[in-house]
Amino acid sequence: MTFDLVLSGSDLLLLAPEIFLTVWLCVVLAIDFSIKNLDHENIAYLSVGGVIATLLNLLWFDYLGVTGTLFHDMFVLDRLAIFFKIFVLLSTVLVILSSIDYVKSFRFFRGEYYFLVMMSALGMMFMASAHDLLSVFVTLEFSTFGFYVLVAYLRDDVKSNEAGLKFFILGVFAAGLLAYGVSLVYGETGTLVFSEMAHTPGSYGLAIGFLMIFAALGFKIGAVPFHSWIPDTYHGAPTPVTAFLSIAPKGAAMAILIRMFYVALAAFKPTWVLLFVVASILSMTYGNIVAIAQKNIKRLLAYSGIAQIGNVLIGLAAGTKRGSDAILFYLLTYLFANLGAFAVVIGVGNLIKSDEIEDYNGLNRRSPFLAAAMLIFLLSLAGVPPLAGFIGKLYIFVAAIDQELYTLLAVGLINIIISMYYYLVVVKKMYINEPVDPSPIRVSIPIKTVIYVGLAGTLILGIYPRPFIEWVVAATLMFSNVTDMVAAALPHGSGG
Amino acid sequence: MLEELQFGFPLLSVLVFLPFAGAIAVWVQRDSDLMRKTTLGVAIVELILAALLLLKFLPDSAAMQFVERLEWIPALGISYHLAVDGISVLFVGLTALLTVLIVLYSWETVQTNLKAYLMSLLGLETTVMGIFVSIDLILFFVFWELMLIPSYFLIKLWGVGEHRQYAALKYVLYTLLGSVFMLVGFALLSLNHYRVTGAYSFDLLDLLTVPVPLDQQLLIFWMIFLGLAFKAPIFPFHTWLPDALVQGPIGMSVVLAGIKLGTYGFLRFSFPLLPEASAHPAVTRVVMVLAVIAIVYGAIIAIVQADFRRLLVFSSISHLGFVVLGLFALNFQGIQGSLIQMINLGLTTAGLFFFAGFLYDRLGNTLVHAGGGLAAKMPVLAAFLLLIGLASIGLPGTNGFIGEFLILLGAFQAHWFYGVICVSGVIFAAAYFLWYYERAIFGPVGRLVPHVLKDLNQREMVIASTLSLLILWIGLYPAPFLRMINGSIQVVVDRLEQGVLAHHGGENEPPLLATSSLRK
Repeated sequence: MTFDLVLSGSDLLLLAPEIFLTVWLCVVLAIDFSIKNLDHENIAYLSVGGVIATLLNLLWFDYLGVTGTLFHDMFVLDRLAIFFKIFVLLSTVLVILSSIDYVKSFRFFRGEYYFLVMMSALGMMFMASAHDLLSVFVTLEFSTFGFYVLVAYLRDDVKSNEAGLKFFILGVFAAGLLAYGVSLVYGETGTLVFSEMAHTPGSYGLAIGFLMIFAALGFKIGAVPFHSWIPDTYHGAPTPVTAFLSIAPKGAAMAILIRMFYVALAAFKPTWVLLFVVASILSMTYGNIVAIAQKNIKRLLAYSGIAQIGNVLIGLAAGTKRGSDAILFYLLTYLFANLGAFAVVIGVGNLIKSDEIEDYNGLNRRSPFLAAAMLIFLLSLAGVPPLAGFIGKLYIFVAAIDQELYTLLAVGLINIIISMYYYLVVVKKMYINEPVDPSPIRVSIPIKTVIYVGLAGTLILGIYPRPFIEWVVAATLMFSNVTDMVAAALPHGSGG
Repeated sequence: MLEELQFGFPLLSVLVFLPFAGAIAVWVQRDSDLMRKTTLGVAIVELILAALLLLKFLPDSAAMQFVERLEWIPALGISYHLAVDGISVLFVGLTALLTVLIVLYSWETVQTNLKAYLMSLLGLETTVMGIFVSIDLILFFVFWELMLIPSYFLIKLWGVGEHRQYAALKYVLYTLLGSVFMLVGFALLSLNHYRVTGAYSFDLLDLLTVPVPLDQQLLIFWMIFLGLAFKAPIFPFHTWLPDALVQGPIGMSVVLAGIKLGTYGFLRFSFPLLPEASAHPAVTRVVMVLAVIAIVYGAIIAIVQADFRRLLVFSSISHLGFVVLGLFALNFQGIQGSLIQMINLGLTTAGLFFFAGFLYDRLGNTLVHAGGGLAAKMPVLAAFLLLIGLASIGLPGTNGFIGEFLILLGAFQAHWFYGVICVSGVIFAAAYFLWYYERAIFGPVGRLVPHVLKDLNQREMVIASTLSLLILWIGLYPAPFLRMINGSIQVVVDRLEQGVLAHHGGENEPPLLATSSLRK
């Protein structure tokens, strides 16, 4: 393999969003260094402006249909990559907005916080474009470095330090697994590019290699049995970082998973379906059952996130075009509902300095807006119609029924009921119980903005999902042949 | 489709979303009196619109009327498709009527957190209306699930019992447990449609055009059965009912006991879509036995209850057994009787719950031994209670008689054994109601009865006399109501007969050909 780096102007165009964001975050950092006494809020809005500009750039690309590959297929820009980049950037904007009040509690390095958030986002943008095992490794590590620092950002808080250390040690372990897996796969196939692996014969080395890569990515998305870092890290990290961690890396890693299994390993589908079925069942069941016992809202959302990823994995277990559509749509619904819920947690936490579920008693009295928003987000996470989560779950389950995965389906359905229980417990505390301290909770404008965006997303995706479904269907158009390969006998659906 | 019947506006959409708009109107108000008046106004307009629907409804027709159809999620074949036919049209009227009566009942009895109560009530009306007019299965499911949210809050926040928290959660989780299976059943139907035609669809009318293999039909039938049985509730899925109906507020009990959503689902979806499975001997035998157990068990338990509300809960389980028995007799009379009986129960059982509320407001509880000689103190209340009670046990001249008689006819046609059980159920019903009436209302005035008891006030008179009028109307002259439902029932029965033939006549032709009449 020779690396002759040839770049032309049109190639650079494909990298325009990343290049722009890189320049922007350097500028933000420079401004933070050079101007003394600059309020960190300005830095935050500056960051938001840059991320939104990148977002618009990507939307424009999506509209124009810009696609292409760079660096010997290491970097690919297609509609799937654009979808996940938009996904990551959207969550970045919302996370930065919901951080503004929280950052006030940091004593040092307020400006650098935004820099690190944007840098992680940049890494995840590259993850969405990774089309080669080497770029998978590099981009995964790139995006995680920012998080290592962010998780431990509360320097004086033991929990935050503990969270950072756990996240770091397990993250490095996962990176080691990933590197070893990549080397095994390279040894068996002689290539690192996904599309070139598609026709290699199966072997034990290949299987072990991909299992290791799956373990590393499973760590990122927090699927059981690679979830052990999640509860403590989520609990200890600054809440906006937890929110970020619970959405963006999952989306970016899911982009890699879909690409890897749909492109490189399409031929081995019967084998890996089982892998996802097991991971999905374990994640849903474990996440939901353990969530019941939680006393801290961040831990509750951590476990519910594990369970939600179990639902997403149903789509991968289906292994069809419809499955990938469903994953994308589900992630979108999860983005709005989960970030919205975290925004409420941040809003409440900023004021009462507590994340215990007990302290949500009588939230309805203290802030009807926050309580109603939380109600809608939790119900959407539980999958109650006509909210976004319902359509997402419906889509995922239809994909599973397509492939006659009835066991998985049964487990998934039972889990919906279990999850309904603990979401309702929180609802009960907010609406029925009496508050200890009835003083009203004021919500700042940035947090309100995030909550409104979350509410709008949750309602629009539920009531009028059509344009979004068309978007995700178009984003995974390249996987149409996956369906044909598996179920060649079926006529092609009008829905596809 | 029947364009000439459309008004200048989409009547069904207005029926569904008007209460929701009303809830928002209540939300922005501060004065509690104005909130009550707004709610009542919205409920009355809704009732007028429902009456308009009933008047303009073309009787003796099986066609879907007042059709509204828009695409919603084309990728999954889900549409916003509303329509009414003979099966659903009466329920629309019943829902609108009961909501008005509940608002009247709650006028003074609900004082705490009034705004949220009225909003929940109107929200509940929206979802129940939605359930009855949805032709798309997913749209139906959306309303079906959505109904849980106002119900949960109604039971939890305004319940009268000590265990209302537990009751509310139990109700939600049990219904959810059933409905997730129902959703899978719906999805399997859609998948079958995909296999035959190459496109997904959750539209009832589309699904009726494709045949479903028998083994699949059985699987789907049981899936949907679970969803409907929990909601109905059919024995042995009824355990949430006593909790919800006794712990919850009267308004909620009236809706849960009076509006028979579960059994409506059988007639709407299971029978037309899965005729072979519905007529399968294994299915009918199991369901009929469950119905028989419900009739006898409910009635016997009702006899020994010391609390009027609990008595009503078990009597309603027993009555529901009749309805299921009539449905699964699978003949015209049985189904006709069941459908009209579902409406009747909406008047009688719901009416009795109102009276339980009246007694509760006066005595502080509904225990039998707290009463005694109430007729002397409140003659009007006693008279109306007697009339509605007798209607609920099927006295000739009242609506209960029409329903039970038709069910009885149908049951005897199916098998003499079911007919005999049915008759015994009627006798038990007479026993529990009359014995209660004798102990609590007649006789010497009880020790615990307060000296001063007011008889029915004006609002309560409106509730009692409206229900009594309808009870007598259906009892003496049921023809207009029966004509509305007959056309659609005939189509369902025709489809079922083909299902029966498939089991007995050995015919191999696809069973689902009788769709043209439904889609005319």
